Amino acid sequence: VASRLSGRTSPAMGTYTYTSRPRALPCQRRRYRDSLTQPAEEPIHYGNIMYDRRVIRGNTYAVQTGPLPGQPDPIEIQRQQQAKRRALARKRAQEQLRPRTPEPVEGRKHVDVQTEIYLEEIADRIIEVDMECQTDAFLDRPPTPLFIPAKTGKDVATQILEGELFDFDLEVKPMLEVLVGKTIEQSLLEVMEEEELANLRATQYAYEELRNVELAEVQRLEEQERRHREEKERRKQQQWEVVYKHNETSQKVAARVFAQRYLADLLPSVFGSLRDGGYFFDPIERDIEIGFLPWLMNEVDKTMEYNMVGRTVLDMLIREVVEKRLAMYEHKEDQPPFVQSEDGFSGPRAMRESLMGDEFHEQSASQSQRVLQARDSLQRTPSNRRYMENVSSQERKLTEEEDDEQTERNISGRELL
Amino acid sequence: MSHARVSMYLPPDINPAQASIAYGCRALPKLNEELQSEDLLTRQKALMALCDLMHDPEHVYAAIDIGCLESLKALLKDNNDMVRIKATEVLSIMATHNVGREGFLKHDVILALAYLLNDPQSACREKLHLALKHVAQLPSGAQGIVNSGLIPSLVWKLQREEEEIQGLLLDTLAACLLEDPTEALSNRVVPFLKQKLLSTNDDIRSKAACMLTVVSIPLEGKNQVWQHDVIPILVHLLKDKMEEVQANAAGALMYATMTTQGKYAALDAEAIHPLLNLLCSSLSKARLNATKALTMLAETPEGRKFLRSHVPVFRTLEEDTSEAVRRAARTAIKVIEWKP
Repeated sequence: VASRLSGRTSPAMGTYTYTSRPRALPCQRRRYRDSLTQPAEEPIHYGNIMYDRRVIRGNTYAVQTGPLPGQPDPIEIQRQQQAKRRALARKRAQEQLRPRTPEPVEGRKHVDVQTEIYLEEIADRIIEVDMECQTDAFLDRPPTPLFIPAKTGKDVATQILEGELFDFDLEVKPMLEVLVGKTIEQSLLEVMEEEELANLRATQYAYEELRNVELAEVQRLEEQERRHREEKERRKQQQWEVVYKHNETSQKVAARVFAQRYLADLLPSVFGSLRDGGYFFDPIERDIEIGFLPWLMNEVDKTMEYNMVGRTVLDMLIREVVEKRLAMYEHKEDQPPFVQSEDGFSGPRAMRESLMGDEFHEQSASQSQRVLQARDSLQRTPSNRRYMENVSSQERKLTEEEDDEQTERNISGRELL
Repeated sequence: MSHARVSMYLPPDINPAQASIAYGCRALPKLNEELQSEDLLTRQKALMALCDLMHDPEHVYAAIDIGCLESLKALLKDNNDMVRIKATEVLSIMATHNVGREGFLKHDVILALAYLLNDPQSACREKLHLALKHVAQLPSGAQGIVNSGLIPSLVWKLQREEEEIQGLLLDTLAACLLEDPTEALSNRVVPFLKQKLLSTNDDIRSKAACMLTVVSIPLEGKNQVWQHDVIPILVHLLKDKMEEVQANAAGALMYATMTTQGKYAALDAEAIHPLLNLLCSSLSKARLNATKALTMLAETPEGRKFLRSHVPVFRTLEEDTSEAVRRAARTAIKVIEWKP
């Protein structure tokens, strides 16, 4: 400090020489704790003269002579010592004048008595404690101190004064800049990189969360969709089967009902046709039919034939008779022309003729026709009218019987068929 | 001499371990040449310097441009451990930048890295896996890893490696499985993961659960998860003390219960109660995943019946802070109250 000041102010202060230069006194108080790495530029705290206790401030003509609390005044000390001596002397004097207890009476003795609660043993023996002391065991001889021969030769000293070599602050600046700069640059880069990575990671995390959730939602919906679809398919399948079965059953039922109805008539019709076909027969009836009736018919036929034969014979007889009579009449008629009441008979005759004409068409050529013709000619005679009527009635009966015969023949023919 | 004059002598070598970096644009080419030098010390010093430089993305881009990757690939096969460790460290730092990742893919660095999978030095392997993890964050990077056929060896490594490396491996595999899960699934990744779920390390558990989430995304994965009975373990993990593990386990369950068999397996393992507890968790991811998992379970008739009495809890979730949680709570209520 001094040298610095001297360096600075030497040109100005050249007149005085000091053994100790005037200097501002630093304050002894340390503001902060002594730290290990004391930075060089900590300002030196100088004491302020205004606040220095040693400097008397105020008026100087009435100086307060009170001693400082930290510093004792010598006069005061002396006075205190005298006072002490006097007090001691006084005490000694008073000791002699102090009243004592009176002397004991004849034959009595003062004895000291303890009046406390607990008695105390007073022994004359003084408590003795043994103390021992011993010197250390014999020590080894200490090693000889290093022999440093006395210095010979000439002492040379050198001192590097301020500012002779180099100015550290100036020199170190660029190096420091580079060092610190590079370190900070590198660390900044790395920190930025890490921060960037952390940010990316955070956004990625959030994104992944969202993405996972969305994906899960999508997959769930897909799954749901799939399940619903499958369910629908299955149900549709089931429905199809149900409908199919339904149809089939209804068809079957309808077919069955139809068949039943269709075949309902079958049985009666079968029976009917069988019955018609003659497969169900009453045996008696059958017997009658097979046995009895043909025989009956045969007999009837026979009877009829007899009848017919008889009739034919009769007819022949009649015919002969009639022919003979006709011949006779013709003989007779050749002479008288007979009066024919044809008008009265024309009608019936026409009818009869027509009838007979019809009958001619119907009946096969037989002798009876000729007989009828002959009868027709015979009808002219009114005398034979009743006879003719009889004959005609007989003829009618004959024709009826012939008809009957024919029908009977037809029937028998059919039956025989 | 208190002069402000620069000294004639060069400043002393402050860091003898690093090569001196040239000024400006000469830095990287010079380092590249030094990388290819014959002297071991030069190579090592150059690598240390490169490590520091690679934190700057512009330097990464310039380095790839001048072909540093080729020299680095050659150095990966070096005999010296230090060289290999440092080379993998440089590559891992480059992989944190997007430019670096794309350069990796273009220059087939992944295959070169694969040589070091069995390296004896654990630091080397750790850096290698860190580099692979960063590459896998990029979708095309993950695709590249899958294409290079590394997945079976990585899955195999899951068993053998130490714990920190296992954590890195799980992260890498999770990202790769998002791209192409078939290879990993056919390499028995699910049984390995099942073991990892029971590990004592919290980090490993959480990452294993996260990876199971990714595994359960494809249908094949879901089926395998159900077949290997992982679902009861996941339900057990729902009661884990770490929230991250709980959240990831809920996420895995959310995917695994998508199939009907998964749903019934989860119901048998009594998953509903722990999931309901998770709904009050502080981590929004946990709440979200738990809500979704409960939605899945509510699609079964038994689940629906049980959850109908817990609908008020979902209603409180509808006023949650996160938008995603609100949406999830609404869908959950809709599913629970659905009548066929």
